[in-house]
Amino acid sequence: MASTEHYVIIGNGVAGNEAACHLRQRDPESRITIITAGRLLFYSRYELPRVFHESCDWRDFLVNPIEYYVKNRINVRRNSFVTHVDAHRKTLNLAHKEEISYSQLLVASGGASYLPAELSDFAPLLNHFNLYSAACKVRDILPSKGKIVMLGGDVLGLDLARNLLKEGYKIILVATEQTFWPHRVDSDERALFLGALRDMGVEVIEEVKIEQIQEGAPGMSARHVIFDDGREIFADVVMPFLGLLPAADFMMGSGVDFERGLLVSTNLRTTDQNIWAAGDVCQIWSSQENQYRFYYGWKNVKKMGEIAARNMTGDDILWETATDHKMYLDENKQIISPYWEHD
Amino acid sequence: MTDTDIQLMFCGSAGDGTIAVGDIFKRAMAKAGYKVIAFDIYPPEIRGFGKCISRVRVTSRQAYSLKQQSDVLVSLNDSYAIPHVTEIRDFGSVIYDQAPIAPMAEGEHISGHLLPGQLPYGLRIREISDQTTGGSKSKNIVALGYLAGLYGIKGDPFHQIIQEKFQHKDPSISETNLRAFDTSYDEGASTFRLDFIELGTPERQDVGNKVQMMTGNAAVVRGCLDAGLNNFFGYPITPATSIMESLATELPRRGGRIVQTEDEISAIAATIGAGYAGTRAATATSGPGLALMIEMLGLGVMAEVPSVIFCSQRGGPSTGMPTKTEQSDLHLAVYGGAGDAQRIVLAPTNVEGAYKCAGKAFEMAEKYQTPVIVLLDLYLSNRYETVVLPRQNPFEADSSKYRSHLERGVAYNRFALTEDNISPRTIPGEEGGIHTITGLEHNEMGRPNDQIHSKMSEKRHNKLLQAFDHPGITIHKRFGGEGKVDVGILGWGSTFGEIFEAMLMAQAEGINCSAMKVVMLSPLPSQPIKEFFSDCGEILIPELNYEGQFANLVASAVSQPFTRLNRVPGVPMQVEDILNQIRHLADRVKSPTAA
Repeated sequence: MASTEHYVIIGNGVAGNEAACHLRQRDPESRITIITAGRLLFYSRYELPRVFHESCDWRDFLVNPIEYYVKNRINVRRNSFVTHVDAHRKTLNLAHKEEISYSQLLVASGGASYLPAELSDFAPLLNHFNLYSAACKVRDILPSKGKIVMLGGDVLGLDLARNLLKEGYKIILVATEQTFWPHRVDSDERALFLGALRDMGVEVIEEVKIEQIQEGAPGMSARHVIFDDGREIFADVVMPFLGLLPAADFMMGSGVDFERGLLVSTNLRTTDQNIWAAGDVCQIWSSQENQYRFYYGWKNVKKMGEIAARNMTGDDILWETATDHKMYLDENKQIISPYWEHD
Repeated sequence: MTDTDIQLMFCGSAGDGTIAVGDIFKRAMAKAGYKVIAFDIYPPEIRGFGKCISRVRVTSRQAYSLKQQSDVLVSLNDSYAIPHVTEIRDFGSVIYDQAPIAPMAEGEHISGHLLPGQLPYGLRIREISDQTTGGSKSKNIVALGYLAGLYGIKGDPFHQIIQEKFQHKDPSISETNLRAFDTSYDEGASTFRLDFIELGTPERQDVGNKVQMMTGNAAVVRGCLDAGLNNFFGYPITPATSIMESLATELPRRGGRIVQTEDEISAIAATIGAGYAGTRAATATSGPGLALMIEMLGLGVMAEVPSVIFCSQRGGPSTGMPTKTEQSDLHLAVYGGAGDAQRIVLAPTNVEGAYKCAGKAFEMAEKYQTPVIVLLDLYLSNRYETVVLPRQNPFEADSSKYRSHLERGVAYNRFALTEDNISPRTIPGEEGGIHTITGLEHNEMGRPNDQIHSKMSEKRHNKLLQAFDHPGITIHKRFGGEGKVDVGILGWGSTFGEIFEAMLMAQAEGINCSAMKVVMLSPLPSQPIKEFFSDCGEILIPELNYEGQFANLVASAVSQPFTRLNRVPGVPMQVEDILNQIRHLADRVKSPTAA
């Protein structure tokens, strides 16, 4: 008998797509819908630095060919914004006023770039690198061998930095407490890794705060950064890499427990029996640490997608609390983050 | 130079301004120097109901048909646009309202129906319209502005066309629409574009002639006016009505007269009467109307009176499908009527051809003293093309063979048997020109006489053969190279555009093929067709009727076998459909046993 299940996945990243793949395998007759605010199919954000050294367009970043979605009957609703989830009625609303019913809902909407309040005034002058369109914009405005100021320097930023250094760009890293995020590093490790960055050619500025970011003067560099110690830097772009915040505002009022992210038990079910969560958006209960916590990186997130899908279709598999992946220096004294690994 | 070749489809409900926005777009692109082919589909019902679609193909070089798949879909009404999503190619774009006013059930918004390879561009269409104009009536203009901004098309031609469109209304209407256009233009320009649609430079225009954009029916009107039409008699019928509507405005300004008669029989009778009186006269109708006219048309043949009948074909029989296209009135046009009622039948293949055939029809009707039918169809009547019209009027003002002054005073034989089978004509009331005219078979004086039937039949038949050499009109033409080819495609009417595109695509694939269009369908130019057949390993005849009516004509003229491709979908034939048949026939030529 044909399944009447409608699995709805909010989020078009690693967790959501891995879940969709397993859902299709385990329930071939069901309906599967992925809802995403983006306009592209699932693509690898880890590969975005390629825009600087290859002639490529967005199709080269797709993880699955378009035929995959047709063959597996996975409907990806792009450019669609979820505004509200009603757990009681098992419906969600999209910004264009369409109401979607679900049997099981997986929230895998990931995280949005974090920008602290003291920098919010300068947001129009900052360039992100979290989307294909944002990456292309940076590529287009950055002159050859241009200068980039990186605020923070989380693992995504460091990945971009090492790529840009190879292409001859100048990197200035303004170290903050988010530097190396989400790795947890002690003061000795921090000093070690900052030293390694300097050896790689990154100019590291520590123990300063941003006083002002301004547009550069005509004919000069496009950005002018002023620090609280009086130092000034002219650069072509200023990019914040300050970690991620869970992107699930639409779950407010849904009746599901929410702390910094969606709270889920180790089977990735939320406090509603038909709503699950996976990826950067959820905090999973850790019995070892006796608290809810986040897990990051392609491998973790992918595994969460699989577990959620299996549990949504009847299994009862538990997320096993992983030890943190440690950042390290390789034999060439280059920084390596396990979070850079991906399929 | 980057070649431009994009096709847009605007889809909405009657009342959404769908056809209007398609019109503004195509006019702006034509003004910018691009070649345009456009075709609108609208419902038979009154305003406010039913689906409207406007397809516009914009090219830098001349194109000959619409493409099977469009590059961009603009939805002004999702419920109507959703079924057409599959007509947009992979990596093509869909522009739609991101913020409609009313809540909707699952599946009612177009974003849920896009195919994985298509690119969504959601826009606050209604909101922007509300903000800029105070209402939602300008949703179409908002979508247009976004489209223009997104693809970097200059806004000036759009501004001009919008101003022209609203010039007779309150100036505030033009101002608010321009505001709506500019606001969404900026939004489009700032949108990160993911598709790969590029606009190149338009081809240099022919400066010696007039480049204009018009429909097939508008071209017919222009042809009629340039040929000096004096009298028009008609009864409204889709898709020919716009000919009469335009002439109702234009003809009186030039001293002509137009009469809406009580039916088609009266229209043809009046046309023949006006032709007999020595004026250039015409009527326009569609298949059902032509069926009613056929008896009178026989009188025109027998009495050898000039008249021109424009017939825009639609789906039949009977009332049939008034807003769908078809090429199924060919048998009626060529053979319809009692007896051996020979007449000239012309079928233009494009809008420019419609202009030429319209004007030349009057010359032929006068010169060969016969009814001339010009066969159009809904697709050709309604589709827009950029055309190059000659600056100098190409039509003769009077082609009649009149009784000379030297013959005056001698007994006048209106139907004299002459060397060229054309009898000297006179205008009623002319001194010494008294004669009898009748639908009965008659002698040279026009008096009833059935003893001379064989000679008179031969005269009426043979005089028309001179039309093969009528100056200034192409009655058949071969395209794609001379000499032996594997596959030849023979076509007529509006379908020839699709045939030509298919031929070009097949040649690009390395298939040795060429195409021939036949404009004069009666009398049929058999010899050039035979010569074309002898050059082709296989022959394909595509046409939009079930029976293969043109193929039947050809079969009566040549003995070589050929392949028919008959479709009656109510819409233009698909280029891909023709191309597949060409591929199949090319394979058969190469491996006759395998096929």
